Amino acid sequence: MEVALIGNPNTGKTSLFNNLTGSYEYVGNWSGVTVEKKVGLFKNNIGKLIDLPGVYTLNPLSKDEGVVTSFFLNEKFDRLLNILDASQLERNLHLTLQLLEYGKPALIGLNMVDVAASRGINIDIDKFSHLVGVKVVPVVARSGKGCDQLVNVISDEKETLERKILVYYGKDVEDTILLTAGELEGKTNHSPRWLALQWFEGNKYVEEYLRTIINPQKMEALLNDVTEKVKVKEGGKSLPHFIYLKRKMVIENILTESVSKKKAGTPLTEKIDSLVTNRYLGMPIFLALMYVMFMLTFDWLGTPLADLLDKLLTGPVTNAIEKSLSVVGASPFIHDLIIQGLVAGVGGVLVFVPQIFILFFFISLLEDSGYMARVALVMDRIMESVGLNGKAFIPMMIGFGCNVPGIMAARTIETPRERLLTILLTPLMSCSARLPVYALFVGAFFQGQKALVVLSLYVLGIVVALILAKVFSSTILKSETSLFVIELPPYRLPQFQALRRSTWDKGKGFVRKAGTFIFAGSVFIWVLSYAGPGGLKVDMDHSFLAAIGGVLAPLLAPLGFGTWQAGASLLTGFLAKESIISTMNIIYFVPKGENLQGLLSNYYTPLAAYSFMVFILLYIPCLATTATIYKETSSKKWTAFSILYALAIAYLLAGIVYQGGKMFGLV
Amino acid sequence: MFGHLKAGEKAKIINISHVGHLVKRRLLDLGITEGTEVCVKCVMPFGGPIMIESCGQCVGIRRKEADCIEVERL
Repeated sequence: MEVALIGNPNTGKTSLFNNLTGSYEYVGNWSGVTVEKKVGLFKNNIGKLIDLPGVYTLNPLSKDEGVVTSFFLNEKFDRLLNILDASQLERNLHLTLQLLEYGKPALIGLNMVDVAASRGINIDIDKFSHLVGVKVVPVVARSGKGCDQLVNVISDEKETLERKILVYYGKDVEDTILLTAGELEGKTNHSPRWLALQWFEGNKYVEEYLRTIINPQKMEALLNDVTEKVKVKEGGKSLPHFIYLKRKMVIENILTESVSKKKAGTPLTEKIDSLVTNRYLGMPIFLALMYVMFMLTFDWLGTPLADLLDKLLTGPVTNAIEKSLSVVGASPFIHDLIIQGLVAGVGGVLVFVPQIFILFFFISLLEDSGYMARVALVMDRIMESVGLNGKAFIPMMIGFGCNVPGIMAARTIETPRERLLTILLTPLMSCSARLPVYALFVGAFFQGQKALVVLSLYVLGIVVALILAKVFSSTILKSETSLFVIELPPYRLPQFQALRRSTWDKGKGFVRKAGTFIFAGSVFIWVLSYAGPGGLKVDMDHSFLAAIGGVLAPLLAPLGFGTWQAGASLLTGFLAKESIISTMNIIYFVPKGENLQGLLSNYYTPLAAYSFMVFILLYIPCLATTATIYKETSSKKWTAFSILYALAIAYLLAGIVYQGGKMFGLV
Repeated sequence: MFGHLKAGEKAKIINISHVGHLVKRRLLDLGITEGTEVCVKCVMPFGGPIMIESCGQCVGIRRKEADCIEVERL
């Protein structure tokens, strides 16, 4: 049995999904965290649960919402599980009415009954269930209360309640529905009533679908006729609005009969909001939070942990591996491959695991608490002035963790132009894979101001993105339409369990990459550095790697790092940014008792190091990001553009930093 | 006009038809339309968006759209 889980954004759909399926999915608290179709198995194995993106209606505005409509039109499933926010029933029921018109067996999970009760809203479940005509189970998805009962009701194969037509849309509309149904007779498996109503409401996806089965001229005649009739009889109302009002009336009736309200006190959310979205304090609070996040990641907590891990890896772990290699009598080639290639390459990346997990923890915290949507609100004014909207800031924030989910999160942006712009600019956000490079260089050159120097790079990424947004939106991506309406979900106390899993979910990709991609890459890079035109075990300056990197070196000279080593590591950085570190660890193979940081000062000046970091920040989206950009834009042109503009801007800015810095007498 | 309200003031929406099609649709999705009672929660500086509350949910909209919504102060 396949059950589709559907509901408004911010109704706790993803939490419910996790509770019902046992398997973990990513829980977030800002509109539209579910950017892909996710399927889980029910705990008691009765079937599959499909998690759909949150939508207010089946008539889509954004691409994210279009996913749901296409799902309803094209995919097979057995049941609908509609989740409602008990404290927002009126709005939630508009979707429910459309789902019931679809005609599949349905079940309602009434979530957040506790929140509703605290707001003085009392729902008579039996009466409500009777009025809507489907079974209703009250749940609290965040704590899992009521989920067992929900599963039992889903497992119950037979639907006991009698289905009835809830909304009568008046004679004119109903007649046209019948006429449309006549045209559709035997040509579709979907409910003709549902198809007709969605089409009347202006659902483009349904209209496209209908065009493939009914004569388009006939469709136009039907639609014009009913639109005209409604306009004349209802005082100039448009057909979609008329349908909306009819549904609204039915909903009001259902609610007056089944819901009672009492007065309740000011919720805590509003008190917090008066602070964080305060006119004057909003922005400073956001910047202060960012500062704390960076200090914890790079200074107070992350660095000591990384140093500890580094000592462990270069000391006891390397010794143990060396010992066991000599015990088994490994050949010098194998010995060098493992110690100079693998341990240096993979270990060099693994050292940064603590810092990356701290960063991911904070991103999860921001998502889960409901602060993310407030950030979008606070940032909207700035974003609007560069031709974007506040919502674009959310994909960019997620991009700090990893650009790939960031780019996918851009699906929640309604207008195609703003979405494309966000996709193109998200790679400029400094992702966690770039972090090891900064950590290495600031450790070597900027001991005193580690967090500040790294923060400057993150800010540079944002500033460049904003400037480019302005440039692109006033040249190649010109358009007037912009849409910014954002729902601000109530604050929720983040749950430790959810945070832990969400952090792990994001962070495990980094660890896995170190074990696969970086592992293989390290072997490859080491072999390239071991072999050269003159045979095996050549001096590294005469290796293949030096030859390849050497081609790029003259090009990089104006930026301050015209060495073959820099060229070679930048090339591998396209595969994954953290492989820059593993490549460097292999190239500058560090003798015992020293570390890479100490060694680097022989090759870079502090100014060149900063210029190098600026270049790394901007120069190219990594392979996975490029693939995602292509998937999301389905355009080779824009994918190529995203790579080329990044290279150009990185070269330009790193050049300005290095040459400008030299002019001011910096080294 | 909506945009002229101060934080904490309550109003009822009378006419929303001058707002752009997309914004109007989205507000409708959120249950905000003619006849809805709303309360301005806060107003961002430098002409930034405003945060409004209706039926216990908060929504952020831009000032220039708010300016197109006719309201009646309560």
